[in-house]
Amino acid sequence: MTFLHLTFYSTFTLSSLGLAFHRTHLISALLCLESMMLSMYIALSMWPIQTQTTSSTLMPILMLAFSACEAGTGLAILVASSRTHGSDLLHNLNLLQC
Amino acid sequence: MNPQAKLISSLSLLLGTTLTISSNHWMMAWTGLEINTLAILPLISKSHHPRAIEASTKYFLTQATASTLLLFSSMTNAWFTGQWDITQLTHPTSCTLLTLAISMKLGLVPFHFWFPEVLQGSSLMTNLLLATIMKFPPTTLLFMTSSSLNPTLMSTLAIASAALGGWMGLNQTQIRKTLAFSSIAHLGWMTIILIYYPKLTLLTFYIYSLTTAAIFFTLNNINTLKLSTMMTAWTKTPSLAAMLMLVLLSLAGLPPLTGFLPKWMIIQELIKQELTTMATIITLLSLLGLFFYLRLAYCATITLPPNSVNYMKQWQINKPINMLTTTLTTLSIMLLPLSPMILSIP
Repeated sequence: MTFLHLTFYSTFTLSSLGLAFHRTHLISALLCLESMMLSMYIALSMWPIQTQTTSSTLMPILMLAFSACEAGTGLAILVASSRTHGSDLLHNLNLLQC
Repeated sequence: MNPQAKLISSLSLLLGTTLTISSNHWMMAWTGLEINTLAILPLISKSHHPRAIEASTKYFLTQATASTLLLFSSMTNAWFTGQWDITQLTHPTSCTLLTLAISMKLGLVPFHFWFPEVLQGSSLMTNLLLATIMKFPPTTLLFMTSSSLNPTLMSTLAIASAALGGWMGLNQTQIRKTLAFSSIAHLGWMTIILIYYPKLTLLTFYIYSLTTAAIFFTLNNINTLKLSTMMTAWTKTPSLAAMLMLVLLSLAGLPPLTGFLPKWMIIQELIKQELTTMATIITLLSLLGLFFYLRLAYCATITLPPNSVNYMKQWQINKPINMLTTTLTTLSIMLLPLSPMILSIP
């Protein structure tokens, strides 16, 4: 049980650090966001099993639905930024500095 | 934009806001926040301009990260306490993570970097939605968990927000970025009183939304985005430019106007809690905001454009001011005598 907690916390922390320190491409940020959501899904699935409150087994499904919507939106934004900025390089997102 | 798409986005914004502010379970709060984020992205990017797409990219990344961090903090609390109730968030790590997640959602320092750029990249009416409706659910979540938050962290975030909002707004010539920094400074005021008297946080938020709505509607009518364009705004509707000066001074918090009420009550409550130093610091920091509000008022109302004009009003037909603009403007100037009634709103 403790090992599970450690796994969940470290997965989430590593993914969020990957999201915070993404350097070149927008898509790596989107991938890290997806892995944060995946670790949340696993944690939300384990919680009703451990606390024996199986009525909250809906929660991981709900979270997964919204995470899929978010992933789709992120990819749509990736496509839009490829159309306007030419690529998904984060160096090019500098129009709003001034 | 397609009218059906606009309708779906607006209704989803209302749905997400209502879902979060009326929720007791963290999952429902998170769902409402996600619906809000997804609904406003088409509104930010509707013009398909490169700046708008860049603004929507930055907005999406920060808000999605903040929502996931919020879910993580409530998950941590659920592992330790076994329940998902919003008002029962008691584990200290969860409280700190929640504060960081909500400050990322709101735009408190040090997570404010997305906010001026996103406001700069979207239209004026979308800016209004971003500055008022999108800030309401996270403020409500802070209100519900206010009794278990860390006072040192909140005070640090608040004073840093007031300071940075004031200082960075001084160098701006674009009105949308100036209003973004004014929003950050007002969020500092909202956050400093949260632990001690949470009702004043909501009061500050309501009066800030009222005044900001009046300003954005006025700017939309005059159709200016920069200081240089605002210099000739008085020729289009002189009366509206005169009111704009009063509304800007109300946002700055000058006494006979409505914007003074939240600052007055916050300072009074801070002094009652023996935090006079903090009250002094945040009041002095709001003087920086007063400078750039006065500069905006000067450019809009008190000065004449550089070229000499032989006419007072422009010859072309100007668009009529709708009733909502005038109502919001009047309310944001004249509500101070009604302050006992306003303070008794639950």
